Amino acid sequence: MPSLPSNVSENFTATVSDADHRYRYRRLFKRFVLLTLVCSVVPLLLVGWGISTQYNYSAETRLMTDFRNEVQHHRKVIEMFLKEHSSKLELIAMTHSRQDFIRSERLRFVFDKINQERWTLTDLGVIDATGKHLAYVGPYDLLDKNYREAHWFKMVMEKGLYISDMFMGFRREPHFVIAVRGDDEQGPWILRATVDTEAFRALVENVMIGRTGEVFLVNGEGIYQTTPRYSGRIMENASMAVGDVHPGIRVRQEDADAGFNGERSVRQIVSTAWLETPQWMLVVRQDFDEAFAAENRANLSVLIFLHVSAATILLVTVLVTRYMLNLVKRRDAEAEILNRQLVQASKMASIGELSVGVAHEINNPLAIISTEREILLDASKAAGGIDPAFGVQLDDSMNQIDAQIKRCKRITHNLLRFSRRTQSVIDTVDINAYIREVVELMAREAKSSGITFFERLSPDVPPILSDPSQLQQVFLNLITNAIDAHEGKNYGSVAVSSMFLEAEGAVEMVVSDTGCGIAEDHLSKVFDPFFTTKPMGRGTGLGLSICYSIIRRLGGQIQVRSVLDQGTDFTIRLPLRSTEVQTNPNDLANQMERAA
Amino acid sequence: MIGSKILLVDDEVIFAKNMSRLLDARDYRTLTVNSGAEAIRALENEAFDVVVLDLKMPGMDGLTTLKEIKKLGLFTQTLILTGHGSIDSALEAVKLGAYDYLTKPCQIQELVAKIQGAWDKKDGLQKRDNQEKIRKGVESPRNAFRVFAT
Repeated sequence: MPSLPSNVSENFTATVSDADHRYRYRRLFKRFVLLTLVCSVVPLLLVGWGISTQYNYSAETRLMTDFRNEVQHHRKVIEMFLKEHSSKLELIAMTHSRQDFIRSERLRFVFDKINQERWTLTDLGVIDATGKHLAYVGPYDLLDKNYREAHWFKMVMEKGLYISDMFMGFRREPHFVIAVRGDDEQGPWILRATVDTEAFRALVENVMIGRTGEVFLVNGEGIYQTTPRYSGRIMENASMAVGDVHPGIRVRQEDADAGFNGERSVRQIVSTAWLETPQWMLVVRQDFDEAFAAENRANLSVLIFLHVSAATILLVTVLVTRYMLNLVKRRDAEAEILNRQLVQASKMASIGELSVGVAHEINNPLAIISTEREILLDASKAAGGIDPAFGVQLDDSMNQIDAQIKRCKRITHNLLRFSRRTQSVIDTVDINAYIREVVELMAREAKSSGITFFERLSPDVPPILSDPSQLQQVFLNLITNAIDAHEGKNYGSVAVSSMFLEAEGAVEMVVSDTGCGIAEDHLSKVFDPFFTTKPMGRGTGLGLSICYSIIRRLGGQIQVRSVLDQGTDFTIRLPLRSTEVQTNPNDLANQMERAA
Repeated sequence: MIGSKILLVDDEVIFAKNMSRLLDARDYRTLTVNSGAEAIRALENEAFDVVVLDLKMPGMDGLTTLKEIKKLGLFTQTLILTGHGSIDSALEAVKLGAYDYLTKPCQIQELVAKIQGAWDKKDGLQKRDNQEKIRKGVESPRNAFRVFAT
């Protein structure tokens, strides 16, 4: 086979370029992935969003209710504390006279009794109707003080029981008092107790408010009655608007002022409730994030779950799409090969039909030329006495005409053979034995060419039903080409191998050479009739066409792979049983005999 | 057999004429016709030893002509000579009763050899038929008389 430029390639060239294929498959891949994601991730996100929204709503409602219940309960605790102390003082005032406390240590006894269980009072004092401190138990020196002008004094004298707001008083410290009015034979008197500010604050703050929460009391004028954790100090103006006195519990969300908790401006849950006596507003507030920490964690978990699920879906989608696309690619490739084979078969069929007509039309003129030649020869013999030199020239010319007629006849017969004008004779063929015979024959012929022949025959190859004479022609053609491919080389090799493809129920044979190879642009044409790269007069271009035609007719496949300057492989696959209509040679003989 | 009568049937007028000339030169007696219908008419009017028949002809093709020839019930042998020379068509012709086939172009020696073979076969068949008739005549004198009468 002459020198041909090429790379490794299949026997057919692609009708659509690889770039177009890649672009098409990329687009298909993107579409698949996008569609799958839309169909899977979007519902997932919708469900996730729905669940999250519903969960947040119910969690928020539950949390607000809990918050309200907590504040309501806490308000009762504070009110009970004040009520308890008020009641105690009222009872003492009703069951004692001022003289009981002036003349003896009775006042200290009462004071100790009240603080016995829990330290709640700072001091206890008895004051007459003029505001004079008659008796006092406590840490301050207040016996000589007169409270006639004090607001709380006026209020208790008027109402009988009074719980004051926080005030500084003579001790110059924030405090509040619970005072009750008693009556004895000398007229009205007052029993006054000062509630311990820190103890009261501890009571007020004894509620679950977390790390960011704070609880405090504010009076109607917006003055802190206890020291908040972050927002200010006792008796300072509160940073929040107090508003009107309202019944029940109010819970709302609002943005806290910057620095409310010394750190940052945040969204808060704020709950307010007014005490009955005194009219103080209980304020409980907490960072929204802390209050909703559990819900936020749940939300985060849902978010993570959604992201992980989406990522998993994406990964699975990409993998599945890639797998499916590979399947599509494989099917496309198979369909394309099939399509090309159909085109090739169709082309071959058309050329075959054409060849029959051409062969017939050429044979008739050839027959006429042949008969004219015979007539001339007869005439020259009959004439006699021809000039000897002319006679020699005539004989040469006649021989040349005969040789060229035979050459044309060989071509037309090859054409007819290619176009399936011969019928297969199916018989059992031992492929390995057969290959050995053919290789031995060809090796003898190519003895002087420096080409080494190898056989790699698998012992598993079973006998097949095929046409031995046509197979012989195929192998002779292929091996002849393999030998010709080494033209210009001093040495080389031709290998013939066989293999049993059990799964496919076929036998594979490969004829490989180390010749010059076939150019890529020639690979698609090597099976076309009259395509040859051999010099004029050396080849008809029908050898591989006949091989192709025979192998297809026998129900097999033939393919070529080639590397330029390295060699060529022709691979033939034949079924164990040829699909060709079987005609036994004996039957043919019988038919002819019967006809005779 | 020198002197045999050959009917050449071919639509290629020049080829038929040349073949006739070559066979005449070899002491055969030939008649040339250019269609199947003409061949049948010639066979009905005249006895021939061998018919050299082309397969692909316009009108009545070679195979049809062969069938018609067989219908005539003659001992004449038919030799197929065609440019369409495939085993398929040749097999078909042999099945229909042709003696043998040759593909165009062929050398005159090949054709003469085949004609000789065809003549031998025709002669053999004819002799066997005659012997059969004589055997039947011996068994029945009335039949023998009929044989000799013919």
